[in-house]
Amino acid sequence: MKDQALVQIALYAALVAALGLIPPVPFVTGIPITAQTLGVMLAGVMLGPWRGLLSMLLFVFVVALGAPLLSGGRGGLGVFVGPTAGFFIGFPVAALVTGWVAQLLKRQPLLLATGVGAFTGGILVLYLFGIAGFALVTGNDLLRSMQVMSVYLPGDCVKVVLTAIVAQAVHRGLPRAVATRQA
Amino acid sequence: MMTLYIHRRSWLHRLPAGLKLLGLMAASIALYALSWPWVSVVFLMLVMLAYRSLGDHGWSRLWVIKPLIPMFILIFAVQTWSQSISAATLMLLRMLTLIWLANLVTLTTRMDAMMDAVMPALSPLRLVGVAPHRIAFTVALFVRFVPVLMAVLNSLLEAWKSRGGGRAVWRLAIPMLINAIRMSDHVSEALAARGGIHLPDTPNV
Amino acid sequence: MAIAIELKHLYLTRDDQAVLTDINLSLTERRVGLIGNNGSGKSSLVRLLNGLLQPSSGQVVVSGQAPDDGPEAMSDLVGFIFQNPDHQLIFPTVIEELMFGLRNQGLSKADARLRAEHCLREHHRLDWAERAVHSLSEGQKQWVCIMAVLVMNPAVLILDEPFSALDLPTRQHLTGWLLGLPQQLIMISHDLEVLARFDRLLWLDQGRVQGDGSPDAVIAAYKAACAEGFFL
Repeated sequence: MKDQALVQIALYAALVAALGLIPPVPFVTGIPITAQTLGVMLAGVMLGPWRGLLSMLLFVFVVALGAPLLSGGRGGLGVFVGPTAGFFIGFPVAALVTGWVAQLLKRQPLLLATGVGAFTGGILVLYLFGIAGFALVTGNDLLRSMQVMSVYLPGDCVKVVLTAIVAQAVHRGLPRAVATRQA
Repeated sequence: MMTLYIHRRSWLHRLPAGLKLLGLMAASIALYALSWPWVSVVFLMLVMLAYRSLGDHGWSRLWVIKPLIPMFILIFAVQTWSQSISAATLMLLRMLTLIWLANLVTLTTRMDAMMDAVMPALSPLRLVGVAPHRIAFTVALFVRFVPVLMAVLNSLLEAWKSRGGGRAVWRLAIPMLINAIRMSDHVSEALAARGGIHLPDTPNV
Repeated sequence: MAIAIELKHLYLTRDDQAVLTDINLSLTERRVGLIGNNGSGKSSLVRLLNGLLQPSSGQVVVSGQAPDDGPEAMSDLVGFIFQNPDHQLIFPTVIEELMFGLRNQGLSKADARLRAEHCLREHHRLDWAERAVHSLSEGQKQWVCIMAVLVMNPAVLILDEPFSALDLPTRQHLTGWLLGLPQQLIMISHDLEVLARFDRLLWLDQGRVQGDGSPDAVIAAYKAACAEGFFL
């Protein structure tokens, strides 16, 4: 793998970390939303599926090593055995699917392709991991777990829209920076 | 550098990282395999005692679960309602034990020691063209980038606030991303100018 | 209009470090320069003036207003220009960048656009309106940053090393333009030639005012101190 690819991978992992260090913003639903998963979806859209996957694997790896880079300054091995562990473990696959779907739709308008990709990866896939993880750790059934986790849905849907808007804005300035839009 | 590791002289600190990781895995399996409730209670007490061995303020480290407390309450309530109080208690005990135990490994193990312990497991990645020393380098790059990106974000935020900017702060993600991409280009160039990422003991000739 | 910036018994501590100690100043001159080595506290001092930082103790008053409520509340009165244009430009086109501050001041999109266009026209740069900010040169970008603040019509303009990254001719051009503006200027700079053209120069060292007066005198004292020795 080329050096340049490794630098990009490190960069987007750092972006997700930096977004996680931003304090959660109170949302209309009362559930505070964090900016972190915005970075996960952007990694998929901007780097494409494989590098997006590697970037998020790097992020998860370094958090496991003991860096407090998850929203709220959380990190270390403890976060991988807690109730929300599924969501973090799902970052790499979420980025992979986001990138893959966005790439599949590259002939469609950017907002649409990116939005659908971000929704598929950042919501469908990520919540799949999150709910499964929650069910596993807490011993609840899947239906109950889904109900609990659904409170985060509105905020995360907003982030899907933001991912598309941000990707479009960046594409206007630096078209080559969006891997899922390259021919 | 940002890390959860705390520097102490304790028996846990002296244990090799690999051993602690294996111990964590073994303990996790045991905790769930042995379903008698008293097992969970004993485990929990042992883990809490282990925190005491961290020295003064050892027990204050148990507050690592503080951000999870609202969720714990919710889960406990849901579990009690759908199953029983005893089931909910058992679940809570196991969860606490596991989180505290895993966190203990993180608290007592340096990041580089952890990485060294795990590296052998990553050597199959050579087959896809990712050598361990390149992984180590990428980790270092990542760690280096984070404070830089934070600084860029803070500068943008200052400029935003100084012009009376309101709540649409998400807009800053755009210039932040553009700056970050440019930065990665510069770093790639700088790396190339020094001959790229080489093995630690290979001179960049 | 006499703009007075008053600092009384000002102290600032951050992370248990004393950043500014007992600052007492009354700035009424039209062009005030600020000089000092890195870590002297000058960046913190100017950020106290628009509310980006709050003092640990003491008073700050800018033209009768205290920046207690933060920078948003001060943005009509005090404009702030930072060192790096890439960390200030938020929007893709020049006109949108200019409109941002105006929208925050309560103007409708249409009114903000008109004002921004009028501003560009006055400076013979209406053709820049739809240009992408990232297509501009460093000097042009910094000009846009200054315009984006000036269009809000502040009374005071604070500049934190605004021209460090620019080449000499660009620096000279922009400096000449700045010095002709009606606003009160408070500028941090390492460029002694530029500072020599100011009305008053403050020299900050380790959080205290080390020199204060005519640029020539303060520059001479500063140079002498630098020649004596520099401790990292």
